[in-house]
Order: sequence, then C-alpha cells, then structure tokens
Amino acid sequence: MLAGYDTLITTIALGAILAYSFHVVLMAGQLSLGQAGFASLAAYVSTLVVPAEPLFGSLSPVLVGLPVGALVGAGAAFVVGLPVLRLRGVFLAIATIAFGEMVRVAMTNAEWTNGALGVRVDKWVTFDFAWIIVAVLAYLFWRLGPSRVGRAFAAVREDELAAGSMGVNVVRTRMTSFVASGAIAGVYGVLFAYFFGRITPAAFDFSLMMDGLVTAVLGGYLVFFGPVLGSGFLTVVPEIQSALGLDAGWVHPLVTSLLLLAVILFLPGGLSSLLARRRPAPRRVDPDGTDLAGLPPLPEPGTAVAELRALGKSYGAVQAVREIDLEIRSGEILGVIGPNGAGKTTLVNMISGLEPPTSGEGEVLGVALGSNGGAHRFAQAGVSRTFQHSKLFDRLTVLDNVLVGTHVVSRPTYLRRLLWLPSARRDERRARALAWAQLDRVGLAERAHLRPGALSYGDQRRLEIARALAAHPTLLILDEPAAGMNHVEAAELAALIKALADDGITVLLIEHNVRMVLDTCTRLVVMNFGEVIAAGRPREVAADPKVVEAYLGATETGESEYV
Amino acid sequence: MLQQLANGVFAGSIYALFAIGFTLVFGILRHLNLAHAAIFTGGAFVGIELATRFDVPIWLLFPIVAGAGALAGVLLERTAFRPLSGRDDEHFAGLISSVAFGGLLIALLHARYGTEPQSFPSSYFPNRLYEIAGLRVTLMQLVTLGLALVLMLGLAWLVSKTPLGRAMRAVAENPTAAKVVGVNVTRVTAGTYALSSALGSVAGVLLALNLGQANRGLGASIELIGFAVIILGGLGSLWGAMAAGLILGLAEALTVTYFDSTWRGMVAFALLFAVLVIRPKGLFGHVKVREV
Repeated sequence: MLAGYDTLITTIALGAILAYSFHVVLMAGQLSLGQAGFASLAAYVSTLVVPAEPLFGSLSPVLVGLPVGALVGAGAAFVVGLPVLRLRGVFLAIATIAFGEMVRVAMTNAEWTNGALGVRVDKWVTFDFAWIIVAVLAYLFWRLGPSRVGRAFAAVREDELAAGSMGVNVVRTRMTSFVASGAIAGVYGVLFAYFFGRITPAAFDFSLMMDGLVTAVLGGYLVFFGPVLGSGFLTVVPEIQSALGLDAGWVHPLVTSLLLLAVILFLPGGLSSLLARRRPAPRRVDPDGTDLAGLPPLPEPGTAVAELRALGKSYGAVQAVREIDLEIRSGEILGVIGPNGAGKTTLVNMISGLEPPTSGEGEVLGVALGSNGGAHRFAQAGVSRTFQHSKLFDRLTVLDNVLVGTHVVSRPTYLRRLLWLPSARRDERRARALAWAQLDRVGLAERAHLRPGALSYGDQRRLEIARALAAHPTLLILDEPAAGMNHVEAAELAALIKALADDGITVLLIEHNVRMVLDTCTRLVVMNFGEVIAAGRPREVAADPKVVEAYLGATETGESEYV
Repeated sequence: MLQQLANGVFAGSIYALFAIGFTLVFGILRHLNLAHAAIFTGGAFVGIELATRFDVPIWLLFPIVAGAGALAGVLLERTAFRPLSGRDDEHFAGLISSVAFGGLLIALLHARYGTEPQSFPSSYFPNRLYEIAGLRVTLMQLVTLGLALVLMLGLAWLVSKTPLGRAMRAVAENPTAAKVVGVNVTRVTAGTYALSSALGSVAGVLLALNLGQANRGLGASIELIGFAVIILGGLGSLWGAMAAGLILGLAEALTVTYFDSTWRGMVAFALLFAVLVIRPKGLFGHVKVREV
C-alpha cells in the first residue's frame, strides 16, 4: 500500500527531524536559526570521514555517519553557543542566521567540499530507517515533558529571571537546548546526504531554516509530536493539491502561507493543540513520611543566615544602596520598609544574587555576594524569593509553576525516565507531593489546574509564595507580597508568614503595608536614600522621629500614628 | 579601485534605504518584520508593471510605488501584527505571521507574473554615462543615490520634527504611557508600517531600475544584507542604518576587488557576527537600560 509513496513518507520524516532541531530550542524559548549551518557541517564532515563502503561489511555509512553528524553538530553548536548565547531574542536569531550563511559561503569556497557542485554519496536512507529516527526523537521528547530538565526548559522559556531565582541554571539550560538542537540538526544533515545522495552548500540555506522554523511552529512546540504533525501537514497538502489538479507553481506557496497565517493567528499552540487532549485536572498527591525526610534541616534559630558589610550598589552616577551593614539571623521575620526608591528592591536583588554589589561585601548562606554563577547558586544555597511584579510562568499551570520551585530539592529525572526506572517515578511523585503541600499551605489547591492568568491578583501573589516555598528555603524573601491585597487577604498573608516563621523559615519582608509589617515582623529596618536610617524592634523603630519624618508621616499632634 | 568604492556607495544606498524601513518598525514597535523583503520585491514588480503597461514616467513612478507600498504596509499590519497584540508570544508570533504574509505576497506575484524575470522597457530610462573626477557613473546611479539620500533625510526630519514623529518616538519609549497621554497608538502603528513599506518598495523599484529587471528572489537576495545593516547600525537607529548600509556596500565592493566575488556574502555576515558578539548594541546604537 505504501509502494510509490516512499519518497513522500521519507520527506515527512526528514522534515520532522529538521523541525525537532527547532522544537528543542523553541521549548527553551530560544530563537536560534543556525540549524542549517550545523546540518551542513555535519553532512560534509561525515561524508568526508565515513568510508563509502559498509564498515565491517554490515554497518552502512549512514549508521556510522549519524553519530559523527550528531557529534559535529553538537560540537559546532557548543563552540558557536559560547559567544552567541549571551544574546537573546531577535539578536540571537540574527547572529545564528549569520553563522549559517557564513558556513554556506565557506563551504562554497572550500576545496574539499567541491564548491557549489557539492559531494555525491550513495543513497542509503530508506523510509523505514528515517522513521526509526523520528520515533526515537519523538520518544526522547515525550519523556522530556514531565522531567526536571523539561520543566527547567519551560521555566527558562517563560521567564529567565524567575527561573534563575528558582535554582535553574539558566546559562546551562540554554546551552543544553542549543547543543541538542545542533546534534539533531547534525543528524538531519547526515540523513539528508544519504537520502538524496548529494549535498551542496545551497541545500542548507536561509530558506531551509525558515522551513524548519515554520514546520516546528505550525506543528506546535509545546507538544512533543508537533514536528511530526507539522511536517506531515506541510508535505501532504501539496500532494492533495496536485491530486485535485491544481498544479500551478504558485498554488503551493499560496496555500502554505495562508495556512501558516491562519494557524499562527487562530491556533497559538499550533496544529497539535487541535489534537492534544484536554488535560484532566491533575491528580492530588499527598506527601508520605519519606518525602519530607530527604529535605535538609533548617538551621537552628539564631544562626547567621546573611551578613552584609558596607554593601553598596550604584548604577552609573546613581547610588541606589550605600554602606549597608546588616545581619539576618535564622528564625526572624525581618521587615524592610522605606519610601519608594529607597533601595529596598536593589538590596534584596543583591541578597538573592540577581545583581552583584558594586562595593562592600556580603555572604548569604555561605555564598559570597557578587561571586560568579548567578541567581541559581543562591537558590541552591537556600534563598528563595518572590518579585515585586509577579513573575509567574504564564503558560504553565499553577501546579507546574510550583513544581519548578522544587528544582533545587529534587534530582534530575530525565535519563532515568528514558529507561522507565522506578526511582525516577518515585522522584517525580515526591516532587508532586511537595508541590501539592505548598499549594495547601497557601490555599490554592483547588486552582492547581488553572493558568496563572486566570487567578485573582491576590492569588497570583500567593502562588509566587508557594513556588518559592517549594524550594524548601532557609531564607524566604517577599518583595511587597501584600501590594494590591485587601485587608482580609493581607491579614491572611500575615498569618501565613508567622506560620512559616514558626516552621523555622527566616523571612525577609519588604512591604508598604505598615500595619502588617508592625504586626508580623520581629525586627525592622528602615531605609531611605539607599541607607539604613533606623533598625530595631518594630514599635521602637516606628516611634523614631527620623522614621516618622522620612516615611511614616505624623498625625496632627506630631506623633506617629503607628505608635 | 576608486571606481569600485563608488559602486559600493551606490549599492550601499539601496541597502540603507531597504534597511531603514526595517529598522524603523523594529525601533518603534519592536517587531521584526520578515515581510519587508517581499514588499521590496512587490515594489519592483509594481514599478515594472506601471512602466510597461501604463507608460508611467519615472518621476510619477516613485510616488505611485510608494503609495502602493504604504497600502501594503497597512494591510500587513492589519493582518499579520494587529491581531496578535497583547498575546503572550506576540513578538515571536509576529515573526512567523510576517513570514506568512511575505510568502503570500510572493505567491501572488508568482501567480501574476510567472517565473520569468520581468524587465523595464529598454528605453525607459536614458542610459547616460558621466565622468566625474575620473569616475564613471550612470545617471541611474546618481538618481538612486540622490533619491535614497532625500528619502532618508526626509524620514529623519519626519521622526525628529513632526507631530507624527514625536508620537512615534513616544510609542517607541513606552506604548502604554503614550496611550495614556493621548497618542493614538493604533494609528501610529499603522503609520509606521505604511512609512516603512513605502520606503522598502521604493528601494525595490530602485534596485530593479539599476538591474533593468526583477524576479521573485529580488527581496530574498537583500533580506540577509538588511539584517546585517540593521545590526551593524544598531537595531532601531536610523542614522546607524544609513551609515551601516554605506559601510556594507563599500566593504562588499572591496571584497570583490581583492578576493573572489563568491566571498562577498561572507563580509556582511562576518561583520554582523563580530558586531553582535563584541558590541551587541551595534556600531551606532545605544543600549536602553533594562528594568528588572
């Protein structure tokens, strides 16, 4: 039945493989378009180094060529990625396009590639072989979804800053997706060579990149079978069209463009969103005794959590924070208040590793401020935070948002998931149990299946707290968590913060709701113009004339209204 | 040698004219409009059609092509960008939808004109040659350079001095704030696309006039160079795009002189790659401080 359709079926497979090399970077939110360059390098190198006759009489050149191509593609991606991955968005896209074009021009001019005429090899790829590769890739991506690294990809795609603050090594995650993309592109290049029997530099040009990108997006990059669907669709449509007798050369590009436009406008998740089942509400997993046993104990009350000495931060001529000496001890709820622009957020950005200080020094849970490595090192050490403007992962469910939070307290599961090891299943179950426990803690368990956008403002703040708690933090930093909450919600939040402190978590709270700060905090620091102007017990600080003048304001009698 | 440099300047002025439309949209709206090359090609074909079928004289040709380009730009914004505004993946989706729009346009040109290149009538523009300080330049090259300069300076004036330009700069700075203070963001967006596409289509007809003909691949051949120009100049910087267009034209001319012409493509991309890695804000751009 398939006779006569061999070429068509193989073309679908090749298109899908190319699209997978885009799929993997899109999953991690990276718009990289250098795949044609990687494919070209891999194809040329493998035809150069792999003997034309089967090795040991049985290993066909394409079998030997595939690992060679994957290695060449991955290696090239790594080397290119080192400088290029500092770029983001459109800049990354254009830099990688430039790389692809440079490879094309270099291959056209090199001696060993036989220039624009290209290289001939024997045809070894049959449709069953190509489809085995597709099946392997589909399997790899299917198992990637609910794994630790899969969640890291999604987190980096949705919000790099938040991902880093949850302990995801953003630099390494981006590089991983980039190198994986290079490897898959390399596999594509080798299959291309041994399927068509000829490679030319022009075969791997800008239009190939656009084809790959379009296929990946049309199929949908949030679902593992998207590339297969996209490629099948794009290959079959012209067949149907010629079967209908519409053979004019312009009909195919017209139809494809119209379909692409329709899909991107009306089906943001690609074609696969038509097929993907509506996900059932996630099943609740309750923690058992062993789940929490693996978590490290929190430090004894009174141990130093953070020590800052003469810490300062300036942006050009603006001194946002100057000469701050501060010690945070385990078990306390430290409130930081002060007028807008006092440097509060800059201070916590430094403590959570998002920004290095420009002067002074400090140490948080054993990590020196300003040391290389970024926010994820602080998260791994036990610092977890929320943001003044919530930074939730918009296209993940509430539960999945919290699951990203478990990153630092769970083990990598992807490789074990590939082998279906029971220990991977246990680890994933434990991560889920921890996540559900946090949702219970903040009272969001009923909304676990929703997207953050569907939550009320107060619930979004609570979700951020749950996500931060999932990391089992020693130090929890809350940046204006009550902003936008009404009195009832703020009171609930205050009760939650006290409960967390009772559990042994150290809390650093930035807040403008002075009543709430006075009621919850055990110690208070007041900042103004980047400096600490008062510190001590909440009631005493609130009565300090300097504080009254700078921030609290006075009643008509000249007394602070908060005393 | 000097002759090559002069040719580089003429080519560069077309690159610059193509690229400022590109960079205008990016600078103001943060959209990477991948349909720009198709609009460029469309401009060339519309010009040839007008010249061959309706005998439109050249001085009337440019305004009509610009008008058609502006219309295409408004249509592009309506179909490929406006429906996406406010979506999570707005910028990424806009990239894809503009690819689709460009593909649609090229397919329509294919349907109308087939695969053969279309030519201007041979006597359409006087093939006059001048010697200026030992350099041989054609009248067409002078017209190209002059028109490109006038249009680019006109755009710079428009952006810096007129109310529309001020509104554009406000939208570039902060669309929400611009809306709050009464800027009609929808109209400014449409206007930006109209301007950008008008410039792009005039650049297309200029290149076709210089080559004498056009085919469907005309825009694709310049699209990658357009990327290089806008990155070299700093994304969103108009003056940068003008300077970078000329620099690229010169660099290419020099490569062809000293190396083989097949290496021509390498210069643009090696420069682009180096600039992106060493100085991502471009040679003339300035970075905006990102807010956390």
